[in-house]
Amino acid sequence: MYSKRIMERFSNPNYAGGIRGGDATGRIELGGEVVKIYISVDESGEITTARFKACGSVCTIVACDIACELIEGKTLADALALSSNDILAEMEEIPERKHLSLQIAQDAVKLAVEDYYEKKAKENKKK
Amino acid sequence: MGRKVYLDSAATTYVSSEVMAEMLPCFNAIYGNSNSVHSYGRDALAIVDRARDRIAHAINAEKANEIYFTSGGTEADNWAIKGLAYANKDKGKHIITSVIEHHAVLDACKELENEGYEVTYVPVDKTGLVNIAEIIHAIRKDTTVISIMAVNNEVGTIQNIKTIAKLAHDYGIIFHTDAVQAMGAIKLDVKDMEIDAMTISGHKIYGPKGVGCLYVKNGIKIQNLVVGGSQERGKRGGTLNVPAIAGFGKAAEIAVRDMSINQQKIRAEREYFLKNLKEKVPYIQINGHPFQKINGIANISFEMVDKESLLMLLDMEGVAVSTGSACTSNVVEESYVLKAMNVESEFLNSAIRFSFGKNISKSDIDYVVEAIVKSVEKLRSFSALTKAGRR
Repeated sequence: MYSKRIMERFSNPNYAGGIRGGDATGRIELGGEVVKIYISVDESGEITTARFKACGSVCTIVACDIACELIEGKTLADALALSSNDILAEMEEIPERKHLSLQIAQDAVKLAVEDYYEKKAKENKKK
Repeated sequence: MGRKVYLDSAATTYVSSEVMAEMLPCFNAIYGNSNSVHSYGRDALAIVDRARDRIAHAINAEKANEIYFTSGGTEADNWAIKGLAYANKDKGKHIITSVIEHHAVLDACKELENEGYEVTYVPVDKTGLVNIAEIIHAIRKDTTVISIMAVNNEVGTIQNIKTIAKLAHDYGIIFHTDAVQAMGAIKLDVKDMEIDAMTISGHKIYGPKGVGCLYVKNGIKIQNLVVGGSQERGKRGGTLNVPAIAGFGKAAEIAVRDMSINQQKIRAEREYFLKNLKEKVPYIQINGHPFQKINGIANISFEMVDKESLLMLLDMEGVAVSTGSACTSNVVEESYVLKAMNVESEFLNSAIRFSFGKNISKSDIDYVVEAIVKSVEKLRSFSALTKAGRR
């Protein structure tokens, strides 16, 4: 059903877990699956750490793991530009009906970045 | 190679050695076409007749000729629904079935709806029991067939078949039951239970795949589904699969012969499994009826865990389970059965079916429970869902 590569990543995700005291979170609930992406961002706007939590299928877990890998060390703008195809390229082939997993991971990243901007805006207002 | 444990006997079973011994001569020694008039054909026919007798005896049919061999449960269900509906359309074009039937029944009903028939799908309660009051409510003057499964394949709930059959007959309606999961698990007596038509399959009872039968009580009108030959009293065309039929007959005989001993064993193993699981894994829910269910199926929801992920992790540990009916689970979707039972979404997306076979051992169960503990803990360690009091 899934390639060896996907199964290996699924059984040993590198980016699973939360970030204690992280800067922002993106949470999405879709098709019975729930995903949270956590990010820590430095002064220059670079994502220093990205982690995920998921209650989802094999593909969703792998897609989130890949998404975290792709955005860690990148700028917030890069993270916003992350597309389903970028994630898919790392997964190689997945069943057509599993493409929703890519969307979930992509959207969760976007929501995390938006959450970060919103928090920053609030902080700036306070100042 | 690591240890492997099969807990998916509701999907299919292995072929028992007694059954295989019965089948083997039919591949190269007694290989005639059972429809041929010469000695080769007559020898093959004798095998088929013996299998038919065994099945008729196993379900207490009045006559062996009430057993019609098919390519399996799906064909028998398709045939029962369509064949009974077509043959009795002069009386009416309304059918009653339940929302939790196998797709072999549901999809046949859908096709009939496209042809102008009307179908009422009666609901079930939270234990998976068909609501009999709803059946009474649904009965109309033009109702010709009621089809309700004897045992549900996902949760194992046993329906009140005898009551429903009697009810159908009070209104002059034909009663069919899909007994694929019931055979070998509960006593099936078509006379006592007043069943007019009943589906059984070979591969759920340690027989071969690709064979099943439809019991049709003599006097009940049914139109052909498969045409093109005089086989099965002209009711189902096609050369008979003699080796499979021989195996199916033997399997049915054994299913009844060993039912009591098998069920005692399976019940003990299931109870041992559930006791251990409840002790070691928090936040689980057992779906289905608390007691009116077969011993071989345990449908369990693991909160905060996705069923597909859990199934795949267990598979990596060598433990084979399923997320519902094998006929639907290539696509891991929400279970329509659990949904119909109003199971809440957090339990719906985390439900796994464990189905026990007669060869399961205590040490297998110990291994499975450990694999579940390990897999569930792993998935919960990074689950996006949390429970109050859980970090």
